[in-house]
Amino acid sequence: MTNFVLSLVLGVFFGFSLNKAGLTKYNKIVNVFRFTDMAVLKFMMTALVVSMSGLYALRGLGLITFPNVPATYIVGNLVGGLIFGVGMALTGY
Amino acid sequence: MKFVLNYIRKEEWSPYVAGVLLGIVGIAAVWLSDSLLGASGAFENIAGMIGKAVAPAAFDNMYFNFIMPPGITWGVVLLIGIFFGGMIGAATSGTLLWGKKGAANSDAQWKRIFGPQTWKRWVLAFVGAIILEYAAGIAGGCTSGLAISGGMLLAPAAFLFIMGMFASGILTALIIYRKNY
Repeated sequence: MTNFVLSLVLGVFFGFSLNKAGLTKYNKIVNVFRFTDMAVLKFMMTALVVSMSGLYALRGLGLITFPNVPATYIVGNLVGGLIFGVGMALTGY
Repeated sequence: MKFVLNYIRKEEWSPYVAGVLLGIVGIAAVWLSDSLLGASGAFENIAGMIGKAVAPAAFDNMYFNFIMPPGITWGVVLLIGIFFGGMIGAATSGTLLWGKKGAANSDAQWKRIFGPQTWKRWVLAFVGAIILEYAAGIAGGCTSGLAISGGMLLAPAAFLFIMGMFASGILTALIIYRKNY
């Protein structure tokens, strides 16, 4: 139960940050593919750098263990990404 | 304090600030509940639940039994949170369009490219979302579940996915926008 409360709170902050970064707007998502507005990349890469360094530091201190790392199957990941991009550019989600 | 409050009311934050917030949420998810953020899996959990109730035979397969077990999972609750978080974000900046006229088709750039009809927006959103969810199923995650959550654990899958996503995204945008690219 506490786990669900936690995920709800985390979700609220997740949605909040997405909205404030403008990723809930069609034009933001599409314009990154047109190279006219790089907000999506800036947002994604900042999040990556912060969480990456935070997680590896915490693991180094022995405070956390990593959950299951998403499996790598080269063709699946790549083909999935290729189809995903089409949908992303069409809808702007 | 006043500065912080004023910043929360701003419609558009610096993507770096919002990115730091998401990064902290990502760390908290792993630290506090040993889970990864993600959105697309939750839809599959819900679809599996409905499918098991409506057509149990068709949904009695490897995928829905083992890879994506149906039910109200951590991710489903997270998805509910994301929905309300987005609404709170819009409400704090006074841009919440819930229930207002033209809310379903409010993007000026979209209207310029595809036309002002709202039904077009609905159809394209529906078709595009099917493509998105299907692709997320193949790749093992979406932008949040694989690209960001996988990337922060340095999973090779995440970077392959990002490569594919941008390659075809740029190509699709090129086709849609043609001269206006």
